[in-house]
Amino acid sequence: MNTNNNNIFTRIVKIAVIPVGTFLIVFLLCSLKGVKLFETTGNWILFFRAAASVMLVTFALSLNLNSGRFDFSIGSVALLSSVISASICNSAGLSTPVMLAVSMLAGTLFGMLSGAVYVIVKLPPIIVSLGVALFYEGLAFSITKGYGVSFVANKELTSFPSVVNYLLVIGIGLIVFIFLFDYTQFGYDYKALMSGQKVAVNTGIREIPNAIGCYTISGALMGVVGFISATNTGTIQMALNFGSIGTMFTAFLPMFIGGFIGRFCNEKIGYLLGAVTTAFISLMYARLNVDSSIQQIVTALILVGFLIYLNNENKILELVTLKNYINRRKNQ
Amino acid sequence: MKKVWAIILSTAMTISLLAGCGSKENSEPADAGSQQETQEQAESNEVAELDMSQKVKMGVLVSDATTAEALAFRSYYTEYIQNQYNVELVYSDELTDAAGETSAIDTFITNNCKAIISFSSFDRAAQLEQCEDAGVYYAVATGTLTAEEYETYKGYEHYVGAIGPSLDIEFETGYQMAKYYLDQGKTNFAIFGGAIPYYTEMHIYRAAGMLTAMVEAGGEGASYKGATDKDAIIGQIFADGAVETGAIGSINLAGYVGGYDMDDAWFGKCAQMAQTPDLEVILAVGNGSDFFGTAAGEGVKIASVDAYASSYGEAMEAGMLDYLAGKFSASIGPVFIASYRAALGSPVRDGEGNALALSQGYWVATSAEEFNTYFAVDSSVEAPAYTKEMLDTLLTADYEAFEKFVSQYSFEEIQAMK
Amino acid sequence: MKSYQIKKSLMNLTPLFGLAALFALFLLIGSSQDINIGYGLKSIINQSVVVAVVATGAIFIYTLGSFDISLGASVAVSALIGGIVYNRTESILAMLLVCIGIAVFIGLFNSVLASVFNLPVFVTTIAMLSVLNALVLVLIKVNGTGSEIAVPAAAVRPLNNTPFKIMVLAVFFFLSLFIFSFTGVGRMQKFQGGNPICAKLSGISEKKMAVIAFAMSGIGVGLGAFLSIIYAPTLTRNTASSVGMDVIIAIVFGGMPVSGGARSRIYAAVIGAFSMTLLSQIMVMFNLNSGIGQMVKAAIFILVVFLATSDQRSRMLPR
Repeated sequence: MNTNNNNIFTRIVKIAVIPVGTFLIVFLLCSLKGVKLFETTGNWILFFRAAASVMLVTFALSLNLNSGRFDFSIGSVALLSSVISASICNSAGLSTPVMLAVSMLAGTLFGMLSGAVYVIVKLPPIIVSLGVALFYEGLAFSITKGYGVSFVANKELTSFPSVVNYLLVIGIGLIVFIFLFDYTQFGYDYKALMSGQKVAVNTGIREIPNAIGCYTISGALMGVVGFISATNTGTIQMALNFGSIGTMFTAFLPMFIGGFIGRFCNEKIGYLLGAVTTAFISLMYARLNVDSSIQQIVTALILVGFLIYLNNENKILELVTLKNYINRRKNQ
Repeated sequence: MKKVWAIILSTAMTISLLAGCGSKENSEPADAGSQQETQEQAESNEVAELDMSQKVKMGVLVSDATTAEALAFRSYYTEYIQNQYNVELVYSDELTDAAGETSAIDTFITNNCKAIISFSSFDRAAQLEQCEDAGVYYAVATGTLTAEEYETYKGYEHYVGAIGPSLDIEFETGYQMAKYYLDQGKTNFAIFGGAIPYYTEMHIYRAAGMLTAMVEAGGEGASYKGATDKDAIIGQIFADGAVETGAIGSINLAGYVGGYDMDDAWFGKCAQMAQTPDLEVILAVGNGSDFFGTAAGEGVKIASVDAYASSYGEAMEAGMLDYLAGKFSASIGPVFIASYRAALGSPVRDGEGNALALSQGYWVATSAEEFNTYFAVDSSVEAPAYTKEMLDTLLTADYEAFEKFVSQYSFEEIQAMK
Repeated sequence: MKSYQIKKSLMNLTPLFGLAALFALFLLIGSSQDINIGYGLKSIINQSVVVAVVATGAIFIYTLGSFDISLGASVAVSALIGGIVYNRTESILAMLLVCIGIAVFIGLFNSVLASVFNLPVFVTTIAMLSVLNALVLVLIKVNGTGSEIAVPAAAVRPLNNTPFKIMVLAVFFFLSLFIFSFTGVGRMQKFQGGNPICAKLSGISEKKMAVIAFAMSGIGVGLGAFLSIIYAPTLTRNTASSVGMDVIIAIVFGGMPVSGGARSRIYAAVIGAFSMTLLSQIMVMFNLNSGIGQMVKAAIFILVVFLATSDQRSRMLPR
């Protein structure tokens, strides 16, 4: 019993160490500068928006990347679905939930189309995603004649940003994602294909519907990300020539953090905690007004540092705990 | 079978897209009737000496394809000018660096463009030299050369000239914007610096104008980081690559955000600035309402510099935008005529044979009504601010007449010309 | 058997046929629109050469089944430092050597970081992309006017001509071809890209192969940076920003499998780079608006790569 308690305690510590540690460092840095991390409602909203949005992008990226499918097009799916939903809902005077639904539906369709192109042309996903990203960016541009969509004056559609709404997105997104991938046949097939494509296919698992399903779910998630991004300011800026792929890069750090935390709990909860960690960092950048070039370097160093730790965990732990030295002393 | 389907799908996609490109923008300049009309008009009036019977191909270099300003300009050229004159305007992709400019000019030359109108300024000198070498006319739209550059290039045979807001006008635009609120007794300001971190001159000059107005209104001893005059303030912003917050005499500059990072941290900074306690006015060197409109607290006024786009009208109606200094889309009409004339063999030169160097300013709207009045004219593709009849007067104008025409850029002056 | 071999050879040449078809289309449409074809050919070389050189070097990385997303940023940093060195020394040779030296250093740093710390190469390059982009901003701020670092145009003008650029491309291409096709290095790289486990068991050093690949890629990047300065001596924060993606597109456009291995082709980069530029030139002739133009380009890209790699389909979905 005691051992069990110890195990649970150790696991909780390992799960929480990164987000809590990040929070403490961020809190300390802000305190040293005499800045409160959470001073206004706006700070809370920023934190939860970043957590919700990054969590969904991480889900969308990881579900294909874990299967070896690199997808440059997720940012363009978010862009295009938000353009469609915002254009329709703003001109027709529809409500925020309708915009969310339309955005998600559009994302689902574009994700499915993306998956369909992949399985039809059977080209490596990285190539297909480059073409699809260009196509969707061009389509979004053509739909809006390049102007993007601006609905800053639409009080209804810009009323979405609130802590409660973002918490709902996080909660529902997490539950649905866990359900789909951990409790359905689709999820079991996905895991089988992920860990052994050839064996899985040979045992009769239908790879094509599963792959299209993954792209479809990824699209739906990105539809919600597009919605969150659009309702934040009430504007959607256009992107051409791969301008939309930056969205994808926000998900790498939380994905790796999630992978680490996933050793001690459900991996999807790991992704959420990874997103929470990056949200703390984003909030710190905003509160301390950190220059963008410094932000880029710091984020890259955190990513590299974390990966170095992840890939050399044992050696680092030996070094830090002086395990070899102590063993040698004992032997002497 | 799948392979066949893939080929069919991709081919169909491509063909349908190419076929679907028959928009106005790509079609012939006008239908046969109106084209003939254009030619008849040209032959019957004072422009008869220019042979406009041959279609002239002209290149347009753009470093921005998505802002309201860029789209309004493009719409004026492709939906109005191209339908009125016997020209084909070929647009570059959205250029991001000097190499892109060089490539685009090469492509225009390949396509036998006789003149190039440039909205891109990564390396003006290189563009000018390249066009001069190739014997293609070159004009600068919505900008001007520095005095030093003008001295170097004013005598180049193929340099048409520059027509657009000079840096002094940019400074004045920022100055007038800040003064508008200072005169109302506002004392708590924030500045959105746009591309100041990337050292974009026009944004630096606009911000310097704002700060100069604050220094003047700040009372005795007021200064911006010790700088009290225009040049010193410009120098300070260039040195820092940013605007520093703090007291400018009795005026409080409470917030500043620069750049266009568009990430969570950046939007956080924007929201934070818009919600600064006691803030009264956000002065933006570019688009302010889109980035601060929804986040700004009750009663915070937002002022922007951009163009006349419908979204700004909606923002003004909703009280999210209070002041707009906007370029009018037809402001690029005169530079087109200058380039067209050059391509037809009749460039505009001053008495000493120098190229054009003319400055233009903005239309300022401070209410939704004013905005709507301006927007109705600016967005019209039938009767824009500068109509063909007005532009035709420039086809034979000398330098002085050209200069006079361009200098009368206010809305009222232009309407009076009609 | 013979017909199978002919078919296979023809399939291998598909990218070349694609290039020829695009060229024919360029001439056909160009003639009907009375364009300046001579100038156009010169312009196509000018616009392709940087991507062709960088992509040729990058083939070594792709052959290993790896992928470097930071190549564009690496070109920018090398060019900026090269520019700074020229402005201090006024020596073109010093500029060239610094461009290559910095690029090789960045490449080796990537590979060493990946091999010493057991990191996936691709992930290292993602992090490097951020670091290098930030470095570009810092370099311009510290050493330039804030918005640019400019090498005097007059200094590089004598080299800004088509024969010189073709010569640089040819020298690097034949060097790469020699290493790739006529030495053990190329064979070992293909082997490792195709089957890393067997390669390791056969005694091929994974780390050594990675170092060679990144060094070759570094030389390509350095030469690309040098040619970028010659072509456009005013360097800004967006210099070479499109090169990274263009390299990926050029490589796959040229028929190179992204998974690397035995089917890797050193000439894919050059064919792909020129095909890409030709396609852009053709698009300009249609004078499409930005959005539709990009959609057409995307559709053609998928179509051409599909045809060029039609001999590489497997039963399972590619990854």
